Amino acid sequence: MAPVLEVEHLARSYRANLSLKKYWILRDLSFTVERGEIFGFIGPNGAGKTTTIKLIMDLVHPDAGAIRILGEPHQSVAVKKRLGFLPENPYFYDYLTAEEFLDFYGRLFGFSREERRKKTTAMLERVGLANRRDRQLRKFSKGMLQRLGLAQALLNEPEFVILDEPMSGLDPVGRREVRDIILSLKAAGRTVFFSTHILSDTELICDRVGILSKGELKAVGSVSDLLGHQVSHWEVAFSGIDPGSLPGILAVVSREGSETLATSRDEESMKGLVRAILERGGSLHSVIPQRASLEDIFLREIGR
Amino acid sequence: MKGLILVLLGALAAGTAAVHVEGLRGGSAPGYHLLYLPSGRSLKALTLGYEGLAADLIYIWSIQYYSNYQIQDRYDYLDQIYRRVIAELDPHFLDPYLVGSMIMSVEANRDDLALKLLDTGTRNNPHEWILPFQAGFLCYNKLHDYACAKDYFQRAQAVPGAPAPVRRLYAEMYNRLGDKRTSLRYWAEIHDTADTDYVRQVSWMHVHDLKIEVDLDDLNAIVRRYHEEHGAPPAGLQALVRAGLLESVPLDPDGNPYTLSPDGATVRSQARRLLQGR
Amino acid sequence: MTRIWAIASNTFREAIRDRILYLLLVFALLFMGFSQILSLLTVGGEEKIIKDVGLACISLFGVLTSVFIGVALVSKEIERRTIYTIVSKPIHRYEFLLGKYFGLVLTLFVNTSVMTAWYYLILFLKGFADPRLLLAIGLIFMELLLITAFAILFSSFSTPILSTLFSLSLYLVGHLTWSLNLLQERLKGAGGRAICRFLYFALPNLEIFNVKAEVVHQLPIPATLPLWALLYLVGYGGAVLAAACLILRRRDFT
Repeated sequence: MAPVLEVEHLARSYRANLSLKKYWILRDLSFTVERGEIFGFIGPNGAGKTTTIKLIMDLVHPDAGAIRILGEPHQSVAVKKRLGFLPENPYFYDYLTAEEFLDFYGRLFGFSREERRKKTTAMLERVGLANRRDRQLRKFSKGMLQRLGLAQALLNEPEFVILDEPMSGLDPVGRREVRDIILSLKAAGRTVFFSTHILSDTELICDRVGILSKGELKAVGSVSDLLGHQVSHWEVAFSGIDPGSLPGILAVVSREGSETLATSRDEESMKGLVRAILERGGSLHSVIPQRASLEDIFLREIGR
Repeated sequence: MKGLILVLLGALAAGTAAVHVEGLRGGSAPGYHLLYLPSGRSLKALTLGYEGLAADLIYIWSIQYYSNYQIQDRYDYLDQIYRRVIAELDPHFLDPYLVGSMIMSVEANRDDLALKLLDTGTRNNPHEWILPFQAGFLCYNKLHDYACAKDYFQRAQAVPGAPAPVRRLYAEMYNRLGDKRTSLRYWAEIHDTADTDYVRQVSWMHVHDLKIEVDLDDLNAIVRRYHEEHGAPPAGLQALVRAGLLESVPLDPDGNPYTLSPDGATVRSQARRLLQGR
Repeated sequence: MTRIWAIASNTFREAIRDRILYLLLVFALLFMGFSQILSLLTVGGEEKIIKDVGLACISLFGVLTSVFIGVALVSKEIERRTIYTIVSKPIHRYEFLLGKYFGLVLTLFVNTSVMTAWYYLILFLKGFADPRLLLAIGLIFMELLLITAFAILFSSFSTPILSTLFSLSLYLVGHLTWSLNLLQERLKGAGGRAICRFLYFALPNLEIFNVKAEVVHQLPIPATLPLWALLYLVGYGGAVLAAACLILRRRDFT
């Protein structure tokens, strides 16, 4: 199957006012997004994630490189019929009501009045704003605006959905709702590309991630590939024995009364520690292998 | 509370200052800077397509200004305001020409400026009879300059749509200038083309009296000729007929013959003049 | 086409819901009423004054509306980033721009109509009504359309403050191009005269749309003038809008 998004050697620079020096925001960025997957685009603030998304959405022109969406050149107006987009911290016409707002976008898609009515109602239901349809947007909270933003992004039942920091500013409930929507999109066979700097969200739902730092793609691949199957260290919880005398301890994480949580570097030292605890008559509470978290990988990659 | 006191103090201070400044400026009319307006095209440039409105506003201001008798030297800028500003901004605005010329003539006693203003108005509005008429009337009524009046009235009566009295005044000016013959000719035309009884009557009165005087002039001239040729005045008008200088003794407009005075010097008519004060 | 209309009707809706518009309109109506007071202060010329003030109000408030709303049409969308979700839909950027333009045109039309109706009522009650005034207002409306095109052009690349300055300056210049002809007569060198001539045609000549004097003084207006004026508007305005579309197309919404 052809990739849904192909980014090839994308470059973008900017010049500070009146100076001749160019600053590169993106250099030679290349990646693809396959059909039906959820792709997480992660990176620290200022890495160039929003710029990349703006380039994909033809809001900004690249210095070099090519972008293809669903096989078409990304500027094609026709292909935008099959896209959905939610920008970061979106601003909308605050003088419109929720219903007028979605109706307006429906007209941009060329839907008939009947279609607009149906889709507007369906979308408002889906994002939980059905009882606010007559309220002006200027009275919406940030969470409500974000949900409405999702509604306009999904109004045309797009094949490919692009979201820039969709979870930003939301409380845990809101974040969970957005995650659920993204998963439901995947279940319906759509492709989702979203950027975020909150790693826990990505770990939970993404099929693949790309780590962007200072305009370069440091790593890209499926979550499990990146994390590896390796165990990075072991966590051992026990009580009744002073840890200072035990072998195989890499570090003591915490001590509370007689309860200790310690780490061991590898399986060998872990076994040595467990044996020692048992031999000396201590109580073993838990032994848990720790895999590298995405955060570890992330911090490692952006440090490179 | 403090804020309110500040506001009141501020208002008091500003009000006092405003009142004093007004006193300092010495009782000039508001908008007196308009007296120093540039004229002509530079002013037109300033108004950006709103010249008509600008002319209106300046005209309204001028009415207030010139009706304020407390301003001593307000007539110094009459020409500037009316002819060089308002007329330049809106040449077709008629009221300033008329009112301005009246102010100039009646109040400021500057008939020369009034005529200049009306001339400008006539030049800009060749199809308006009232402007040359007003100028003619000024010459006639105030200056008693009948030659000037005659020229203006001629101009005025030639404009299509000029009311009939203008032509009558025109005809009468010739009389005032002493050219009774031309006056008679025009009055006769007016009489022949009269379409109301009133006009017919009035014009007849002029024709009547003028005819008598023209006839008298002619006859007196013939009498003098007779005198020169024959060395002695004629015995009567019949003598002139016998001498071949007249076809017949002419009749005055009432139908009565003219007579010669006993000393044979002047021809007379027993007809009563219809117009008083001639 | 429907997309342009969607943007246009939305722009119209935004303008209608903006209270500034009502302020301007109320002022305009008050001013026309003010002309009644003016006629108390004058000797003669009442009809002319009321007509002049009315036409000036319609013209001036139209220009103010056109400029103050027009210069923010595009730049506000870019600055507030409301444009992101619009341009990402299947719509050309030029359709967006034209939609904004026609939305403001519709607003101006409604404004002008309201003012004209009020104006005509005043005139009718006084017995001064003259259908040729509608011709003058029609041409004023055309002038507003051209000014709006310029306001949008500036809006596509400049901030509202600068755009306002540019637009108002252009309005000034547009009513002064006749002075270039005068200047040309005074200049000695052929180069200078050529520049004058060129500028006279290159700069927008807004006096073409000004028949206020002719209408108020019952002077004749050539029958073909409105048609030529329309052609001028379509040609010049079209070019300006096209330039705005080109600029917007190349713009980066950073």
